[in-house]
Amino acid sequence: MGLWEVVLNWLRSLFFKQEMELSLIGLQNAGKTSLVNVVATGGYSEDMIPTVGFNMRKVTKGNVTIKLWDLGGQPRFRSMWERYCRAVSAIVYVVDAADHNNLSISKSELHDLLSKPALSGIPLLVLGNKIDKAGALSKDALTDQMGLRSITDREVCCYMISCKNSTNIDSVIDWLIKHSKSKN
Amino acid sequence: MAQFVKKDDDRDEEAEYSPFLGIEKGAVLQEARVFNDPQLDSRRCSQVITKLLYLLNQGETFTKVEATEVFFAVTKLFQSKDIGLRRMVYLMIKELSPSSDEVIIVTSSLMKDMNSKTDVYRANAIRVLCRITDGTLLTQIERYLKQAIVDKNPVVASAALVSGIHLLQTNPEIVKRWSNEVQEAVQSRAALVQFHALALLHQIRQNDRLAVSKLVTSLTRGTVRSPLAQCLLIRYTSQVIRESSMNNQSGERPFYDFLEGCLRHKAEMVIFEAARAITELNGVTSRELTPAITVLQLFLSSSKPVLRFAAVRTLNKVAMTHPMAVTNCNIDMESLISDQNRSIATLAITTLLKTGNESGVDRLMKQITNFMSDIADEFKIVVVDAIRSLCLKFPLKYRTLMNFLSNILREEGGFEYKKAIVDSIVILIRDIPDAKESGLLHLCEFIEDCEFTYLSTQILHFLGVEGPKTSDPSKYIRYIYNRVILENATVRASAVSTLAKFGAMVDSLKPRIFVLLRRCLYDNDDEVRDRATLYLNTLGGDGSVIETDKDVKEFLFGSLDIPLVNLETSLKNYEPTEEPFDISSVPKEVKSQPLAEKKAAGKKSTALGAPPASLTSASSAPVELTEAETEYAVNVVKHIFDRHVVFQYNCTNTIPEQLLENVVVVVDASEAEEFAELATKPLKALPYDTPGQTFVAFEKPEGVPAVGRFSNVLKFIVKEVDPSTGEAEDDGVEDEYQLEDSEIVAADYMLKVRVSNFRNAWESLGPDFERVDEYGLGPRESLSEAVNAVINLLGMQPCEGTEVVAANSRSHACLLSGVYIGNVKVLVRLSFGVDSAKEVAMKLAVRSEDESVSDAIHEIVAN
Repeated sequence: MGLWEVVLNWLRSLFFKQEMELSLIGLQNAGKTSLVNVVATGGYSEDMIPTVGFNMRKVTKGNVTIKLWDLGGQPRFRSMWERYCRAVSAIVYVVDAADHNNLSISKSELHDLLSKPALSGIPLLVLGNKIDKAGALSKDALTDQMGLRSITDREVCCYMISCKNSTNIDSVIDWLIKHSKSKN
Repeated sequence: MAQFVKKDDDRDEEAEYSPFLGIEKGAVLQEARVFNDPQLDSRRCSQVITKLLYLLNQGETFTKVEATEVFFAVTKLFQSKDIGLRRMVYLMIKELSPSSDEVIIVTSSLMKDMNSKTDVYRANAIRVLCRITDGTLLTQIERYLKQAIVDKNPVVASAALVSGIHLLQTNPEIVKRWSNEVQEAVQSRAALVQFHALALLHQIRQNDRLAVSKLVTSLTRGTVRSPLAQCLLIRYTSQVIRESSMNNQSGERPFYDFLEGCLRHKAEMVIFEAARAITELNGVTSRELTPAITVLQLFLSSSKPVLRFAAVRTLNKVAMTHPMAVTNCNIDMESLISDQNRSIATLAITTLLKTGNESGVDRLMKQITNFMSDIADEFKIVVVDAIRSLCLKFPLKYRTLMNFLSNILREEGGFEYKKAIVDSIVILIRDIPDAKESGLLHLCEFIEDCEFTYLSTQILHFLGVEGPKTSDPSKYIRYIYNRVILENATVRASAVSTLAKFGAMVDSLKPRIFVLLRRCLYDNDDEVRDRATLYLNTLGGDGSVIETDKDVKEFLFGSLDIPLVNLETSLKNYEPTEEPFDISSVPKEVKSQPLAEKKAAGKKSTALGAPPASLTSASSAPVELTEAETEYAVNVVKHIFDRHVVFQYNCTNTIPEQLLENVVVVVDASEAEEFAELATKPLKALPYDTPGQTFVAFEKPEGVPAVGRFSNVLKFIVKEVDPSTGEAEDDGVEDEYQLEDSEIVAADYMLKVRVSNFRNAWESLGPDFERVDEYGLGPRESLSEAVNAVINLLGMQPCEGTEVVAANSRSHACLLSGVYIGNVKVLVRLSFGVDSAKEVAMKLAVRSEDESVSDAIHEIVAN
């Protein structure tokens, strides 16, 4: 990148700086914290400890600053998800596409959350993670099993990703940037 | 964090008014919405948190919903990187301390901060995390905490150590694993770390005496730099000294050299701590005291008020036990009387009063008078107490001191203060005969304008006792009758009683008293009229001026020697019949046992036909006749009468499956020749866990302190009880149970009766029947053990606190009083001495109203 371009980018970011706030939720071990790491640094680690509470990360992509609330997925935190989803630009719901046993729980937790009046109209991005694993669901199957078609009161989108192999991460970022609110 | 808050405080002081003036919870909670703004204004957020903290510290409470809202909003502030704001967030989480299922949401963020590069984050995150953590989480973060304890940054290390001190309460086993790290931290160069590490290390080892002793031994060799840690070490050292209990009699006290060395420390707080530790040593000698007193004396002239206060307060305490040691400081303390700080001045005065000599009293009193009005009531009470003891010490100075007391009595003051003054005057009147007349007049003047009913009645009663004995009793009558005219009913009633006492004692006043009492018959209060009528009758108010007979005097002046509780129960049980209520049938022993038993005891004595008036009625404390935790628990209470002895056996059945019936104690009196069994009162039934009594009565020669040994066997019919229904079977089996022997000893014939002023009582008994002899008590463990043994042997009441033996003293004087069988008053003076081989010698001086009794006391000891 030439010096000129850097200056241009800086100027552009000054005038067109955008911000967004996201909540990252989903059952434990779905890959939320891994996704944050991949988005923020591009790194991936197999060895993760469960999130106790939440992690707060700020990531800058282009001229967009993204605030990420990465919430713990264990049952004791699920009642608190709602508090961190109010007034965000989008809710990102991560599902372990290879964990068939917990899909129904994941579905009911999602629908419980979306029924909260405070969260109506907030766009939802459902991410089927771990498609690198054998036996991972297809996008259609996931949409079906999560009952995404029944959600009509907001924009819903679904991507199949793999944090491990960084598959489709770019499309996710693009989608997010599209939904960022302008600062002005 | 503390620093931050402090900064706020400073700002408050500078401002003319508090910036928080008039803030309201509702408005602040509204403001707290800024925490949710997408664009955070960290300055604004900090201000709002400050306000919230202010509200919380003012005692404002948040509802559960409000607290939860605020808490979650605050957690969103973790997005800000502003260091100041993050500190406020930590504070807020600690102050709100939400429920454990909610607070866990910040765990991950705190753990991140705990390993952050910013030291302030690390220290504060540790404090908050340890505050909110539970056992399971603690094991997860233990590794980080151990690291933090030995962190290079003292703030972080201190935070971890302090957290350890808190966690020791809840998770001791985990914190104990950190010993090695803590020990390393004790060697830290940072003062605060050393202080906290020492505190934690001591707490970890606190229950292990040996370990504490080792810790102190190793640290007193001088590796402690921090003054605070040094102070702690001094405290731990004195604890070790206390517990090591002088087993090395060679004289050298362990660690004394260390304490003395600390007196030369650079830091004042260490010097003071060491000086105080020395003054508080158990049985400190004056040689040990001297260096400590010297440094305290230097502090007295310090420019810092806190040092002056600390020194004078310590010296005040020392003056109670070692007045001579403090006299050197008197000149310095006299200059403190005019100290601006009233607390210092008061302590200086009272210390001087304790240590001063007779010649200085007048000057001191002048100085005290000047500042009395400036100090609070509680300090005034301290001064009054000090003056009372001074007056008892120097009786010749009573005029000055009495004048002082009467002056302050006229000034404003609360009840406790006035009561202290009145009590002091009463004591002075009692103990210093010369002071009587002036003291009584002061009291009379006081009740002319006294707002406290209690004090008025007390003084009136006292006047009634002491007034008639003065040279001119008539001058008190006006004061007393004024009460009848001006006061409330309670005071009027006691004034009537006082008048009657004057009438009874002073024949010349009788006609006038009768006139006054007759006027009282028209009072509008029942009690006042009743009393006036009663006294007019008893004093023979029908006009004839006769000598008051003895019974009347006894009635007016004798004390009611029956416990009020017993009298009340007896009166309640009295059924209106032809027979008048007999007050002498009321039992005199004070016991908290059930009513039924008291009735039984009463019945017993009348059934025996013992003339109730001649009851000596000494009752012993219960003596256990069974081992603890046996099937049946039995103890015996001995009731001693002039011609009879009643054993009251209190039995408890501790077996749920048994019901005992027809319970008696069979007593074999073959080893007690002078006793003859009279009657037995069996206990009908003794169910599980319900105490019951059975009685056995013996006759003995009247007035003779017969002694003897009795063997006891508990006999009963035992019936099985079905535990489910609780019903007993019809058939029972006869059984018996061996009890331990009981004894009647000479001390049982002694009634513990307290005398208020031993010296007066001793003088009034006179030397007619005094018997003095000396005894060797042989080697004893300690002097106090010997004193207690003699007191128990005689069964008498120790007077004036003389049963307490000062530690390490080689001699002791003990005063005892009691009433012996036949209603004979006995007073005993004991002088003990102990030599180096722990041989105790005793001189016993007895005075009583009867020669034979004095001899009997000597016989008790001789045997």
